[in-house]
Amino acid sequence: MNQILIKEVASKSIVWFENSNQYLILENAAAEIVAHLYCDKSIEEIAEDLEKKLSIPYEKAVDFVIDINEQIIKPNKVKKITPIHNSEFTIPTSFEFIKYYKINQKILKVAFSNEFELSLIHPKFAHLEVEHTENVHFYFQIFNKDNYTYLVLDNELIGSWVKKEIHYFQGKFSMKIIECIYEKIEEKWMGVFHASAINHQENSMLILGDSGNGKSTSLALLQAHGFHCIADDFVPIDHQKNVHAFPAGISIKKNSLPILLDYYPELNTSAEYHYKRLNKTVRYLPPKDINYKKSYPCVGLIFIKYDANTEFECKEISKLEAFQNLIPDSWISSIPENVTVFLDWFSELTCYQLTYSKNEFMIEKVKQLFGNDL
Amino acid sequence: MKNQTKNKQEEISRKDAIKKIGNYGKYAALTALGTYVLLNSKKAQAASPDNPGVGF
Repeated sequence: MNQILIKEVASKSIVWFENSNQYLILENAAAEIVAHLYCDKSIEEIAEDLEKKLSIPYEKAVDFVIDINEQIIKPNKVKKITPIHNSEFTIPTSFEFIKYYKINQKILKVAFSNEFELSLIHPKFAHLEVEHTENVHFYFQIFNKDNYTYLVLDNELIGSWVKKEIHYFQGKFSMKIIECIYEKIEEKWMGVFHASAINHQENSMLILGDSGNGKSTSLALLQAHGFHCIADDFVPIDHQKNVHAFPAGISIKKNSLPILLDYYPELNTSAEYHYKRLNKTVRYLPPKDINYKKSYPCVGLIFIKYDANTEFECKEISKLEAFQNLIPDSWISSIPENVTVFLDWFSELTCYQLTYSKNEFMIEKVKQLFGNDL
Repeated sequence: MKNQTKNKQEEISRKDAIKKIGNYGKYAALTALGTYVLLNSKKAQAASPDNPGVGF
């Protein structure tokens, strides 16, 4: 407990604090001061070094080191505890909907107590549904009590969530699927990224971007042009830095349909889900040829944006800019060994910003980017 | 328009991530040295916040 990790990336330092699970991007000299304070070097000694380094008065150096101690070191000496909702509950005796999904040769039985819970999960996994069977490997039960949605797996409570945090319920359900189908507990995963993942031969890249910027549509286009889709929206990477397949359907918004119908005529007859709250209509495209046995090292991040006013533009971006975009949208394991792996992995990536409206240019560029990294 | 509002909100959050240890007056090198970015990853795995889930 109470470790810090420091990694130099692109002429600055990324510092991670175990107690708060926070990442700081600091100037290298400031990170050195943090490291010295963590090792209980005296403020006076650190200030003397700083005084010489910057040719500033000793008193100013002392002020600075004290400020770092107060604002960065001390708040991170105490572990932050997240309160967990804990209440008595009983698993319902009957469920309105029971579904069976086959994923990586395993049968997952999922019982939903009502249509709300079904709508949170089933549309993305409908293509994996199979008929009722007694030969079940994992049994999920999802029900509602006192405005909390509960998730139980093999009679063990996983968690409960209120409506405004329901995307965390969906995330945890997906994480549990990953743990089940790959027989790897959460501690064996480096992180889960809000991205799409594609591979070409032995390497993979992540496609990232703000919601609505075209990640999923780009993924579907790339899949139609020789790339292989590994995952959409939820990309699990294990503690050996390998990207694993996640079989949820690729979400296709209504206004992307005209672009994709030529490549995927099956979308004409796909089930359509209209989400009143979000004012959007979505269909799901099953990813092709999911291979659960293969995983891929990720060599790059592509921050993508569809923009009608930009024909095509692609540039390499600084790792630190990419880091600032990546972290808030990702779950990274808070186990120090996994954070070390994450920082090592990240420091080796190449990061790009790709803005486009001409699909053929985007596809050609992604091919080139894979070529650069092979 | 919706994307512009979203992008502006994301830009504001990125600006919020930039912190300063303090202001050291004429010692600009110190002020610069004390500027850092604070980032929080997600507390748990999550689907997209606007991932469909209610109201068929």
